[in-house]
Amino acid sequence: MSMTTLEGFGGRVALQVPMKALMVSCALVLAIVGVLTWSLMTGSYPMTSAEVWATLFGDPPSDTASTVVWEFRFPRTLVAFIVGAFLALSGAALQYVTRNPLADPSLVGVSQGAALVVVSVTILAPTMGYFWRPMLAFGGSLTVAAIILAAASSHRGGETLRFILMGIGVAALISSFTQALLTYGDIDRAMSALGWLAGSVHSVGWDEVRWLTATACIVMPALFFAARPLSAIRFGEDVATGLGIRVRVARWGLVILAVSLAATAVAAVGPLGFVGLVAPHLAGRLAHSGVGLHLVLTALTGALMVGLADFAGRAAFAPIQIPAGLVTAIIGVPVFVFLILRTQARSQL
Amino acid sequence: MTSEFPASPLTANGLSVGYGDTTILKNIDLDIAAGQITALVGPNGCGKSTLLKAFARILKPKSGHVTLEGQPITSYATRDVATRLAILPQGPVAPEGLSVTELVAQGRFPHQTLFRQWSPGDREAVERAMRLTDLEDFAERPVHSLSGGQRQRCWLAMVLAQDTPLLLLDEPTTFLDLKVQVDLMALLSRIVHEDGRTMVLVLHELNLAAAFADRIVMMRDGQIVAQGSGAEVIKPEELRAVFDLRSDVIADPATGRPVCLPRTSEQVVPLQSAAE
Amino acid sequence: MNATRTIFAATGFWLCIAGVLFAFLWHISVGAKAIPLGTVWQALVAPEDGVFDHVVVRDLRMPRAIFAISVGAALSVAGALMQGVTRNPLAEPGILGLMAGATFAVIIGIGWFGLAGTAYVPLFAAIGALIGAVLVWTIASAAPGGATPLTLILSGAAVGGFLYAIESAAILLNEDAFRNFRVWLSGSLAGRDMETYLWALPWFITGLVAAMVIARQVTALAMGEETAAGLGVDTVKIKFISLAAVVVLTAAAVSVAGPLGFVGLVIPHVVRLFVGSDYRLIVPFSAIVGAGYVIVVDIAARVVLAPIEISTGIVTTMLGAPMFIWLVRTKL
Repeated sequence: MSMTTLEGFGGRVALQVPMKALMVSCALVLAIVGVLTWSLMTGSYPMTSAEVWATLFGDPPSDTASTVVWEFRFPRTLVAFIVGAFLALSGAALQYVTRNPLADPSLVGVSQGAALVVVSVTILAPTMGYFWRPMLAFGGSLTVAAIILAAASSHRGGETLRFILMGIGVAALISSFTQALLTYGDIDRAMSALGWLAGSVHSVGWDEVRWLTATACIVMPALFFAARPLSAIRFGEDVATGLGIRVRVARWGLVILAVSLAATAVAAVGPLGFVGLVAPHLAGRLAHSGVGLHLVLTALTGALMVGLADFAGRAAFAPIQIPAGLVTAIIGVPVFVFLILRTQARSQL
Repeated sequence: MTSEFPASPLTANGLSVGYGDTTILKNIDLDIAAGQITALVGPNGCGKSTLLKAFARILKPKSGHVTLEGQPITSYATRDVATRLAILPQGPVAPEGLSVTELVAQGRFPHQTLFRQWSPGDREAVERAMRLTDLEDFAERPVHSLSGGQRQRCWLAMVLAQDTPLLLLDEPTTFLDLKVQVDLMALLSRIVHEDGRTMVLVLHELNLAAAFADRIVMMRDGQIVAQGSGAEVIKPEELRAVFDLRSDVIADPATGRPVCLPRTSEQVVPLQSAAE
Repeated sequence: MNATRTIFAATGFWLCIAGVLFAFLWHISVGAKAIPLGTVWQALVAPEDGVFDHVVVRDLRMPRAIFAISVGAALSVAGALMQGVTRNPLAEPGILGLMAGATFAVIIGIGWFGLAGTAYVPLFAAIGALIGAVLVWTIASAAPGGATPLTLILSGAAVGGFLYAIESAAILLNEDAFRNFRVWLSGSLAGRDMETYLWALPWFITGLVAAMVIARQVTALAMGEETAAGLGVDTVKIKFISLAAVVVLTAAAVSVAGPLGFVGLVIPHVVRLFVGSDYRLIVPFSAIVGAGYVIVVDIAARVVLAPIEISTGIVTTMLGAPMFIWLVRTKL
């Protein structure tokens, strides 16, 4: 790892910067811009990249171009990126806190908790405003997270794979309730909920962009502050206490952050699976770095992953749209298997 | 039993600790001597690791308190404790892929802030810790690729980089080869006596404690049975009382320190009669 | 087995049979129009062609009750065999990828190869179940710890998630072909015809008979491979037969009812509580108790939110998942 130390303000500001990780971040940002352009160009009304950028900068070649980009493709692509970043960060935070490389919001039931609440709202109280969805989703996810952590904590917390197994069980249980609600509910509402449950970005608009951005403004700075406790917590409770961390406070704070990210993302587009599992892992492979930069890389990787998944699902079998959630699952499972094959040795029950 | 800083930087006063309904430590009073190695020894489950964790505020006492430099440890912010006292728990596990330098650098955590994450002082402390533990050759290697003894030295270096006057180590020599154990103990002894630090160790191996510790605290059933220098504590009758162990104690011809020779009941008789 | 135990076992066995029979009648009597148990009994024993209720019982309601019994028995016996042979308390056709494989194969077979004939459904399901089982087992064995309960469940979750995603995509691509499969996919006994069942019936019987035949050897295997080998059991042969039986039973159950989760997990554990560790008892008792369980669950699925019907698979999951969580907490 090539490190460069930056100092300023007479040593009061001093940061160690790994160059490679920074370069990888830049490459990821470029890739995201590329996917954005490509994604805006593609569809039943094809455009050139020049037209796309002209439209984005307020000089649309035609009214149709303006409508297609601003009303449909741009918000959708933005949501895909933001949701990807959220789920990836949520997975990374869960993995650090539980010291478990397999922790992922969709594997341990957190996404399903949010999904159950959102489906209940869609079916039982369809008139309820958009504003409440993310809040309620957050409540549902947090409840599930608390249940799993409490249930798994009889031995040694999330460090063991018992935690993941409990999560699989809880996820199955909650999904069955969601399914029951779907059979119970009105058929039209059930169908709309069903599309959402597959993890689909295609019906989102500026509303979702707005509250996702609002969440990002609150949670991202918090996560930035949390990077330091995170880096100590990954050594386990005793070592972290020895290093001067208030472990209990930090752990719950981080779980709440992780859950709020996952819940907001799920409330917007449904439970996209495996992003939180794959992105942190991939980011770690792209560049070895400290926790803070790893979080940045993870967010970028997640954004790119869901952006690409949405694009692929939209373009591959056009005009039929494959929900992004199915694409991420198909990409994600091989990585999941790879992780099972690798991490087993150290984390016994 | 009052603590006279700097004579005793760390004391336990009437300390009782337990999980749920079970009490593990019963009313412990102990002053840790400054500038010395204190070894906690005793049979399995006697509460020595619990005492160490209570000293490091990882476990909250049911009653009594721990004082650090004359003040109750609970009156410090946990980060301020971490700049005065470092603990190495038993069998820590490093996150995968971490390099030795990164692990050691983690010890600088309590000295850093959000905006001052890496100062020249941090670098010096890390380099020094790695020099002391002879890890410079492994600096960029992943921790997981190292042997048990090397890994234990990495963790020790992390705790040293924390740069605290007080060091608490829980069974640092477990699972290591005999030679590695001895080397490690010699290293610890050098660190304490050259740097003027204070160290508390939980040790399983009685003779290792006898050979390297300045003071030995013997525990049984959550209470302190005996304390003092090796010669004062390591005696056949004490070992019988604490460990249920029949033994003879002889003096090491080279150092004069006591050495315990465990005996079976058949063996113990002739030697004792020979001494008479 | 001493004499007292034999008597206990025999009494319990007949009591269970009586219970299942009662549940069977009850199942038939419940519905949009409640039919008294007496009429149900008459319709079964001495049907009269002209009586409307008798026609309803024999043509509409009885098939579903028979499906429930067969599926429950098949899945429970499959679960019992898997738990015994792999010595894994959490083994079950659903958890270890067999159901996902079977469902997947049926979807692909019907959707992509256009095999509408019901005769092929069990065959496709069997091939899929076998592939699912082999995949999960291969991944788990390649993991550093080997095929432990843990790795098996994790790779089961992985394979299941993967197949489910592809399945969902396939359905989206060809919605018309799969209109009738929506309900089936969530595990339901509703709307299946007798023809499918009759094609699956030989599979049910083969699987159950095979399970009974090898029950004695499975008891030995459950005590450990070396113990079994020491007792003169051909472990490879028994494992092979068990796998075949489990695949056949799962395939038959999935063809009739779709994936019913956790039945194979719950029932053998409950049975073991009462009859101990002898598979000569566990296998038949699992079959009977499982049959009763699914039939009662199916009653609940129809009654609780009537007139709306919940898929049976959803109810078995609601009941089985907590059991799974409890087992993870206590047995692992």
